[in-house]
Amino acid sequence: MSEQILWNFLANEDALSMDNYAARGGYEAARKVVTSMTPEQIVQEVKQANLRGLGGAGFGTGIKWSFIPKNLNKPVYLAVNADEGEPGTFKDRYIMERTPHLLIEGIIICCYAVGSHRAYIYVRGEYDQSIARLEKAIAEAKEKGFLGEQVCGKPFKLEIFVHRGAGAYICGEETALLESLEGKKGFPRLKPPFPAVSGLWGCPTVINNVETLAYLPSIISKGGAWFASLGCEKNGGLRLFGVSGQVKKPGLYELPLGTTLRSIIYDYAGGIPGGHRLKCVVPGGLSAAVLTADEIDIRMDFDSLKAKGTMLGSAGVMVMDETVCMVRALYITMRFFAHESCGQCSPCREGTGWMEKVIARILGGVGRIEDLKTLAETAKYLSGTTICALAEGAAMPLASYVEKFYSEFEHHVRHKTCELKQELVHA
Amino acid sequence: MAKMSFPSELLPVAEKILKNYPEAQAALLPILHLFQNRDGYIKEGVDQIVADYLSLPLIKVQEVLSFYTLYAKQPQGKRHFQFCRTLTCSILGGELLADYFGKKVGIKPGEVSKDGQFSYEKVECLGACEIAPMVRAGKCYAGPLNESKIDKLIQEKSHV
Amino acid sequence: MPKLTIDGKEITVPDGTTVLQACEKMGIDVPRYCYHPGLSIAGNCRICMVEIEKAPKPAISCQTTCAEGMVVRTDTEKVKQTRSHVLEFLLVNHPLDCPVCDQAGECYLQDYYMKFGLYDPKFNEDKVKKEKKAEPIGPTIMLDQERCILCSRCVRFTDEITKTHEFGIVNRGDHSEVVVSREFVNPYSGNVADICPVGALTDRDFRFKCRVWYLKSSPSVCGGCARGCNIEVHFNDRRAHKVEEKRVMRFKPRFNEEINKWWLCDGGRYSYKLIDDNRITQVKGADDWASAMRIIASKLKGLTQSSACSLAVLLSPQQSNEELFLAQKLFGQISGRDRFFLVSPTQPGYEDQFLIKADKNPNTTGARAQGFHPTENVIEQLLEEAESGKLKALYIFGQDLSTRFGEDARKLIKRLEFVVFQGSHRNDTAPLCSMVLPSAVHVEAEGTFTNCDGIVQRFIPAFSPLTGAKEGIKILSELGTSLGIKIPAGSPSEIFNEMVRENSAFRGMSYGKLGKIALEKAAVC
Repeated sequence: MSEQILWNFLANEDALSMDNYAARGGYEAARKVVTSMTPEQIVQEVKQANLRGLGGAGFGTGIKWSFIPKNLNKPVYLAVNADEGEPGTFKDRYIMERTPHLLIEGIIICCYAVGSHRAYIYVRGEYDQSIARLEKAIAEAKEKGFLGEQVCGKPFKLEIFVHRGAGAYICGEETALLESLEGKKGFPRLKPPFPAVSGLWGCPTVINNVETLAYLPSIISKGGAWFASLGCEKNGGLRLFGVSGQVKKPGLYELPLGTTLRSIIYDYAGGIPGGHRLKCVVPGGLSAAVLTADEIDIRMDFDSLKAKGTMLGSAGVMVMDETVCMVRALYITMRFFAHESCGQCSPCREGTGWMEKVIARILGGVGRIEDLKTLAETAKYLSGTTICALAEGAAMPLASYVEKFYSEFEHHVRHKTCELKQELVHA
Repeated sequence: MAKMSFPSELLPVAEKILKNYPEAQAALLPILHLFQNRDGYIKEGVDQIVADYLSLPLIKVQEVLSFYTLYAKQPQGKRHFQFCRTLTCSILGGELLADYFGKKVGIKPGEVSKDGQFSYEKVECLGACEIAPMVRAGKCYAGPLNESKIDKLIQEKSHV
Repeated sequence: MPKLTIDGKEITVPDGTTVLQACEKMGIDVPRYCYHPGLSIAGNCRICMVEIEKAPKPAISCQTTCAEGMVVRTDTEKVKQTRSHVLEFLLVNHPLDCPVCDQAGECYLQDYYMKFGLYDPKFNEDKVKKEKKAEPIGPTIMLDQERCILCSRCVRFTDEITKTHEFGIVNRGDHSEVVVSREFVNPYSGNVADICPVGALTDRDFRFKCRVWYLKSSPSVCGGCARGCNIEVHFNDRRAHKVEEKRVMRFKPRFNEEINKWWLCDGGRYSYKLIDDNRITQVKGADDWASAMRIIASKLKGLTQSSACSLAVLLSPQQSNEELFLAQKLFGQISGRDRFFLVSPTQPGYEDQFLIKADKNPNTTGARAQGFHPTENVIEQLLEEAESGKLKALYIFGQDLSTRFGEDARKLIKRLEFVVFQGSHRNDTAPLCSMVLPSAVHVEAEGTFTNCDGIVQRFIPAFSPLTGAKEGIKILSELGTSLGIKIPAGSPSEIFNEMVRENSAFRGMSYGKLGKIALEKAAVC
């Protein structure tokens, strides 16, 4: 197996405590950064590493940091996106539960690079264990002098707070997260202004995903060039692929960016159990367009998947075999987006609810043939007309299921039953 | 109705929370969690108490309470079960297992069992797809589930 | 000052102008729901989207700042499709209430559908039902959550303008609802019905009264207090039989940058009822106008010829500048300048930091500019004069002295030989007087008021005075003729010009170019 970075800390709970973490070289990168590097050097290293946001958007981390204006009278904040709501994704939970110190170290490095002295970790409200372990780890780190008034004995101050969410997928969207942190509903903001200029309380703010930050210590220790070389051309390093569904070994697999989807499913996750055949894969969390069985030779990196009309996103790989009704799979998907739409803007608010109803009818055997056209057209107009990308996240799978599994949908409409002879579910 | 003051036993923690943020409104979600932890749900009148404490218009607190799903507006069972119903969990039978749980305990989603022990609901992805189909029981995740595991969960005295 | 191109035409705009505002300047109609020039940008309706060259996808014009060299198109197929689809999304859960909805005829959904929609609707499901349909949320406003398109204008209004935070939006997705956190009792409540683009928030007073396409509009100025907010008088002249012969159906605010912007207080808004309710329509104390003039003229001439002090004139800060000027010219020739008293018909009332002034008269400042100041204890002084025999006659301009000043006022009137009441509304004082002359209200007349900040504003008649009533200026004109006195004559405009010539407080003004003046202290003789 190739090199592992995060998995060394995630395979079990050995890296949980401060002592154990430190014994493995923990916090050395943070110390190096605070005592001997300049913010510019750190940003350079991260840019060289080709580290791209692992929460879903895939935006260059180093570039994002460089948007923070220097020498302002306002404080700079870091908001850690630990909302992990994208269905199919569970990697951040592992990091926070099993190696919270790794995240803290990453936060120290990021904050030093962008000039922030205060970080808020926005953790989704259901992650009780993550929250408890993070709070404990923060106290431990403070005790050992890695946080507080003088990080590693240097005149760099840093405080980290854990902020608990309260159940809203939309708060994983950057600016909705900021609104929620500020004590309001998670309504995404209009952009511009972008968070780097005006984020938390009108101040410059960096928002980074947990996993993205977790890779920083290794980038500092072994260099950006090393990290970049582990991955593929424009997408450096490794990442955690979360595999679930009809596979023999669901779980996390840390692999180079650019690994093929086939390899992930068959070489690592053990393939499909029970003698079943692969039918459909969600490659990057529920918001990604689905891929069929003959599309899995695709390389799993941001650009390759984008070129294929889908996305790497949060690398939540959900595998479905031939027993799964695609109409039902789409119904579950649209039900999710309708439930999670914040309701702020008209296309998403009305469109997601509408699509859920249409697919519920098709699923329940009371679909009409014009529904299929309605679905395709609505998907088209959900994209590009909204404040945030949740609508796209609903539109992409919608369009892909209907296009790639058209015959199944048609069967439900014309014959009022499922091709797979499953019991019709009336929503 | 006389103005209800902020409960004294929660004041020290609330004041500590306030210090974490440069603006009082940011303490809204954490302070609402405080009340939910204490009472098991958000009792009537808490919205006004918190609004007064944070000097916020009442409507802003009401909006937040209505927007976020974790704030329960009705009493829940001592052990509240949240069964995931999103993609992986659902295709692996999660919703049917939730129905099984409901039938076993004798309640529908949103209801509390007569002895006050159990309540349940079906929720969206809880971020534990590798143990699908799964449930959030109190503060713990449990999965992969099957009927016998659910029987065991029901019999357990409390959440781990 | 960026220069940009919109639909092929160039325009240069001030820094910070948004694309939507630039389109407005060029007369290009960009549809909008959530945008309102008096409120913050919400950007949630998405219907104002336009195409901008070099941008990957259409952008909302309400929030896009104009930049040098920007090329905007509002007329492409993509923009048309986007608008049509956004409209379709908005109508997905909207109830088909048009036949019973007051907004019909002034509804943005109807108007934009006809202009930008005209599609075949694809929605064929059960619409989302909401809790409150046709629910009064306060004394003035009715809420229908199902009609609401969640543009959040009402929320932003109570957050940013009145800062009272009654409105909010609860829940998520298509279950979102507009709610109020307490009963909506707010002196500016009527404004939310104005700004609601659909029939979700409607005026209870106007409910089911009149279809808006029967309404005509005439600009005027509110007379409810010294603020002088600009209004539109909406009246119907076609279906009077349906609304008990009332002409005016409602007031709406008219935009004025300096005074009230887009807003109107409830007191002023609902004062429209005064125009048609409780009016005096008949001359009392004479058979008709002509004989009334003769009687008054001979009586006043007789009395003042023997003693100039035998007449007192109670001017009112409700009167226009022109009327006050004329009254001064008229009575000043038979009586002394010291025989004029400025008496307000009402006590000062509620005032706030926004629009409402304690002085409930529209022209106190105008009266002051002409040298008339409110004096204390007028009734006591006049009663004393009456009892001593010095005062024999009184000319009242509409003040209900009996209600305001009580027994002393009634004693005064009883004591006098001749009392003329010229006013518009029935009250307890008029029946006590020798002569009653029905006058028009300002909405039926032409003239000017000076507001509390010294801004002189013109008003024009929406329609003729109610049958039997006459404009104040006309009455004074005819009285002048009967008295054989030469007074400024002609149209209100000519009278105004005469006033400008004589009074430096109005220097440089004319009907053509009315504006704000700094008032100088007018000399009082």
